Amino acid sequence: MRDWATQGSARAARIAAGAPFARGKVVALSDLAPFLEAVLRPGDRVCLEGDNQKQADVLADALAEVDPGVIHDLHMVQSGIVLPSHLDVFEKGIARRLDYSYSGPQAARIARMLYGGQIALGAVHTYLELFARYFIDLTPQVALIAAVSADRDGNLYTGPNTEDTPTVVEATSFKDGLVVAQVGQIVDRVPRVDIPGDRVHFVVDAGKPFYVEPLFTRDPAAITETQILTAMLAIKGLYAPYGIRRLNHGIGFNTAAIELLLPTYGEALGLRGQICTHWALNPHPTLIPAIEAGWVEQIHCFGSEVGMDDYIAARPDIYFTGSDGSLRSNRAFCQTAGLYACDLFIGSTLQIDLSGHSSTVTTNRIAGFGGAPNMGSDPRGRRHPSEPWLKAGAEADPDTPAPLRRGRKLVVQIGETFGDANVPLFVERLDALALAEKLDLPLAPVMVYGDDVTHIVTEEGIANLLLCRNVDEREQAIRGVAGYTEIGRRRDAGMVARLRERGVIRRPEDLGIDPLDADRSLLAARSIKDLALSSSGLYRPPSQFRNW
Amino acid sequence: MNPAFETEALSWYEGSARQRVAALVDPGSFHEVVGPEERATSPHLALFDLPEQFDDGMIVGSATLDGAEVLVAAQEGRFMGGAVGEVHGAKLVGLLRAAKALRRDVLILFDTGGVRLQEANAGETAIAEIMRALIEARGSGSRVVGLVGGRSGCYGGGGLIAGCCSALIVTEQGRISVTGPEVIETNRGVEEFDSRDRALVWRTMGGKHRYLLGGADAFVDDGPGAFRAAVQAILAKPERLDLATLDAEQARLERRLVRFGTASDAVAVWSILGVKDAPGVPGLSTQAFHAIATCRESADDAR
Repeated sequence: MRDWATQGSARAARIAAGAPFARGKVVALSDLAPFLEAVLRPGDRVCLEGDNQKQADVLADALAEVDPGVIHDLHMVQSGIVLPSHLDVFEKGIARRLDYSYSGPQAARIARMLYGGQIALGAVHTYLELFARYFIDLTPQVALIAAVSADRDGNLYTGPNTEDTPTVVEATSFKDGLVVAQVGQIVDRVPRVDIPGDRVHFVVDAGKPFYVEPLFTRDPAAITETQILTAMLAIKGLYAPYGIRRLNHGIGFNTAAIELLLPTYGEALGLRGQICTHWALNPHPTLIPAIEAGWVEQIHCFGSEVGMDDYIAARPDIYFTGSDGSLRSNRAFCQTAGLYACDLFIGSTLQIDLSGHSSTVTTNRIAGFGGAPNMGSDPRGRRHPSEPWLKAGAEADPDTPAPLRRGRKLVVQIGETFGDANVPLFVERLDALALAEKLDLPLAPVMVYGDDVTHIVTEEGIANLLLCRNVDEREQAIRGVAGYTEIGRRRDAGMVARLRERGVIRRPEDLGIDPLDADRSLLAARSIKDLALSSSGLYRPPSQFRNW
Repeated sequence: MNPAFETEALSWYEGSARQRVAALVDPGSFHEVVGPEERATSPHLALFDLPEQFDDGMIVGSATLDGAEVLVAAQEGRFMGGAVGEVHGAKLVGLLRAAKALRRDVLILFDTGGVRLQEANAGETAIAEIMRALIEARGSGSRVVGLVGGRSGCYGGGGLIAGCCSALIVTEQGRISVTGPEVIETNRGVEEFDSRDRALVWRTMGGKHRYLLGGADAFVDDGPGAFRAAVQAILAKPERLDLATLDAEQARLERRLVRFGTASDAVAVWSILGVKDAPGVPGLSTQAFHAIATCRESADDAR
């Protein structure tokens, strides 16, 4: 007779092994490493919570301290490789296999360790894709998560930075996995219940808040006039003609410039209420002036942002907030919203090739994907119409009868032809291909595929790839906005001129934009202090951003 | 009309050296000497394959301010961080010598990280020559006023020159020091000074702290109008550089060491000065800051 409840028995055994270290559900911080040795088993699939924002940092450090003689060959299935301890577990032999999504701050070290064979890589995913696999073939046996506070029953308050926690707990706890939470404090009653206590088996009082990276704070002082010009092109050449109301922005300075131009340049163009009303977006401080000027109707967030909590709590009509008044973020839902309910994604990248493929991988750095490939792709399962989606679909496919024609999500790459340290944005061949060869990967890590990209914006103009009818046109449209890079200088001038006549390429002057008007005085805020002032003091910038 | 070209709206912090000069003095009154058309470029930078600038990042000339004749020098912080090289320094030496000969007041618009490393010997020598020429100009009755509010701050040799001025005007963003944050961190470790903690950098070297400590004599908003008004107030007073002033300043500095010597952070210094909500100082507006700054120390023309 088959035992149909082996997983439940296994969890019960883990709980029994951990119980000697706990009073009720609460484990002392000093016992954390031996506790983990007791509840983990070699070869376990473990989700250590952490993404590009929040980190279960205390649990990460403790996991890196367990005895590799006892716990080894773990299979880590986690959103982010961000903290040094996330890679220490591989160096020490505690973990062996890895499936993940984002590795920004550890991009160089993870590349070295992958080349060195210290990590057996499953795949690099998008967030949403990894979350999906938690429910199919990468379900964690143990989840190590982070919350703001807990009560003694294990009810968790995850606060403004809820992010991935509900998804991780759902996949783990309902498939008989063990959930261990680090919390900043134990309280009698949590401000709101984000995770019910019956899904949480142990709680560790870390005595301090979990770490959060202020990744979405862009200092307006660092925005250049070239970036302002690209932002003007995007607003007047894309947002206005397509009527983009529902959108997502990447985290670069070009998109920060767009946010800061809405109340000035956008207002002068009479676009308030016509564009940028509904967002899937983290609480970008650079959007404060537009919110204050009445541009924004609502925003759903992947996570929160350091220093923005009081501002958000004071603007509940704009943000999603809980019964305690603070932000409720949820990465899985927001990624889904960005994929299906937004008509435009715009972001920056490091390399674009002649097919329009783009990548942030260079041969020495593997930053992972995060959410960009999901935001920056056309959802084939979308069925609801909207004006921008139908218009883009008609541009791409004028011959199919309208009732049978798919719409298109606008996926825009924006940047300067020469990026940081004068490195050209446009390349003949992506470094991602060299990386795939070196690591023998079946897929090159492409951030946004060329067939998903609809527009490329540089200071030289906008290339509308929807209007290109063959690969030659596409190549010349890209060369035609590539400026003085090698790619740009090898353009076919006659063909580029014809593309411009057809509106495939539009220069600033074609849109009535004088590049000399691209001035920093157009920014609604020119410094972090301006942002704090425009929030009436509700935005409290972290210390590293305060030059006063 | 683009607001950036309306000079009164200029942000001093964001402006270029030429924009600042044009916005500060009487409209159209600035006459540059050794201007970019003379192409007095650095003789050293080409050796390092580095770009030159035709004015070497220093703009000098004469102008009128509310009708009064003044000499003006402005450092271009956008060119090599306003660093002092041979030509850059020589132009300021010449201006200060002219001030002595013409008995003219001088405005120095600082924006510098210090001596240019690629021409360090020439730059260090220039700093010494500038300080000598500055003191000689002051000795003959010229007032030399330093204006600090640029992105590069006033560091290294620039900090030494500022220390020789008759008076200093600073904004909240302006920073005055000799050793910069990164250098302190490199030499003494991040525990001693975290150069990436910008709030720490500004409360240690920024305009508000310098004003409260008597290291600067006027604290103004980030615009040409505020700087102009402060310059006029300072020039309304006579130059005082005598033994009694210097003795008084020496005594003040000795007292300062006793008074603040145990403070480990600027906030502690402000508390000792008698500021009630010391941690709140960085957040104060200019007006509110002036209201609490009545307890500040003053260098009385000598620093």
